[in-house]
Amino acid sequence: MAGYSFTRRRAILLLSLTSVLLITLDLRGSSVTNFARSAFGVVFRPIESATRVVTRPIQNTWNGITHYNSVVDENRRLRDLVAYDEGATVSAIASVREAQELLALNGLPTLAGISSCTAQVVGQSPSNFAQTVELNRGSECGIKVGMPVLNAAGMIGKVTDVYSKRAVVMLITDPGYSLAVKVVNTPPTTTTTTIPGQSTDSSSSTTTTTTTTTTIPRTTTSTIKGFTPGGTIASTTSIAGTGSTSPTGTVGPNQPGKNTNSPITVPAGADLPLRETGALEGRGLSKRPIVRFVENQPRFGSVAVGSPIISAGGATSLAPPDIVVGTVSRVVKRTGTLGPILEVKLSANLDSLNFVRVLLYQPLTERPSVP
Amino acid sequence: MIDRLVVIAEARYTRLVLVGLLFLSLQTTIFNEMRPFGVCLQVMLLLAASSGLAKGSQTGAMAGFIVGLLYDMVLTTPMGLCAAVFGIVGYLAGYVHTFVHESTWWSRMLAALGVSAIGMFLLPVAFTITGAEGVLTPHVFVVVITVAIFNAALSLPAEWLCNWAIRDEATMR
Repeated sequence: MAGYSFTRRRAILLLSLTSVLLITLDLRGSSVTNFARSAFGVVFRPIESATRVVTRPIQNTWNGITHYNSVVDENRRLRDLVAYDEGATVSAIASVREAQELLALNGLPTLAGISSCTAQVVGQSPSNFAQTVELNRGSECGIKVGMPVLNAAGMIGKVTDVYSKRAVVMLITDPGYSLAVKVVNTPPTTTTTTIPGQSTDSSSSTTTTTTTTTTIPRTTTSTIKGFTPGGTIASTTSIAGTGSTSPTGTVGPNQPGKNTNSPITVPAGADLPLRETGALEGRGLSKRPIVRFVENQPRFGSVAVGSPIISAGGATSLAPPDIVVGTVSRVVKRTGTLGPILEVKLSANLDSLNFVRVLLYQPLTERPSVP
Repeated sequence: MIDRLVVIAEARYTRLVLVGLLFLSLQTTIFNEMRPFGVCLQVMLLLAASSGLAKGSQTGAMAGFIVGLLYDMVLTTPMGLCAAVFGIVGYLAGYVHTFVHESTWWSRMLAALGVSAIGMFLLPVAFTITGAEGVLTPHVFVVVITVAIFNAALSLPAEWLCNWAIRDEATMR
């Protein structure tokens, strides 16, 4: 019995030491553990694929039982959404291209200049405690650790592990995820309404705060054949003294082919959407991500629910600028000079990810340091 | 050379690895999709607990370690973490069952329920110790209860499978 007990203790001690050694090696970023995982993946993938084929009918049956009603509802909702979006898509594409052209014209970085790799989500983490998904493309496509991943709706996360033909993506909801973002707040404007037939003294005027949509004068350059942006709502600009009108873009300092002293048109400052930076942090699957460190500036004003949140960019940011992240769903105000905490409703639906785009943009912070 | 390979292939832990791979493929496919109450059921933990119930604490610890290591290969958490936790679960399953005078089917299911619950609670604690944040939430209790009940329900067939996989070579011959 004593010998058996000694053997048992020795075995348990050996297992404990092995576990500690493996954990230490992995946390230190040892290549041995990465190689082991990669080699295991080569052996295990065929088994997994075969099992997936065999168990697919069971999965489909389960999904049919548990998700039928939600699928029907979603289908109905998506039909409405498609009908609604079809009209807006063409003008949206034109606007995006216009914006990209304008940014390129002024030497500013755009997403159009960053290559990308399209991949498909082939699985999610089988753990209850990690928010990751697995992609079917890896280093063969140029994917590296730290690259941002987005789908058609917006940002979904960043690459954390890369193998030759697969990559693991940490979702934006993971508590380990943090990203510099901008909150775009529409400026409040003051409108004075005068009641007809009465004098405009202080007692007869009503001051209201409204949200207005600012239309920035645009050039009519478009790469879409047969489509002229703004053609249907072409605004005109009056030329002082003549009384005649000309289409927007043909007057002012930014005329095509003409050198001017002011190469960039800056719209009136009061009409520009205000932007404030903060840090977006994931809080797990059951909670929405939040944005911290938003400054409590009077000019910025109160953050409105529904304000868009986009990536801030910058040298140390995990993602290039202007990738849509989501909208503000709740504002938690704090006392004193502490800025509000913003809860974010993500644009991308992380529950039904399929095709995603990995931007081949490796942030400075994620690049391996050269010894 | 061939004789040695045959001996290795006949070893009980080799069979356990093969069964473990089968369970792992089920874990990453069907049980990854079927999530009752939003909980991913843990058949790898079931295998570790059943090994302990079938063959005692020492074999259970070893089997749990191997099963956990297989699971670590597909997770992004530090390698060795699940191996350590599943090793503890396998050990506890065998150890707890030594207190039962005459084991019955329900006492085995009860033991599987208890050790699975302990294992599912130890996992987020271990993740937290190694630096993960936000995993120790109230949702852990839902996970613990769901996984424990599921593992208890399937513990008898899993124990039978483990009895076959980790049987002694002498018994096999």
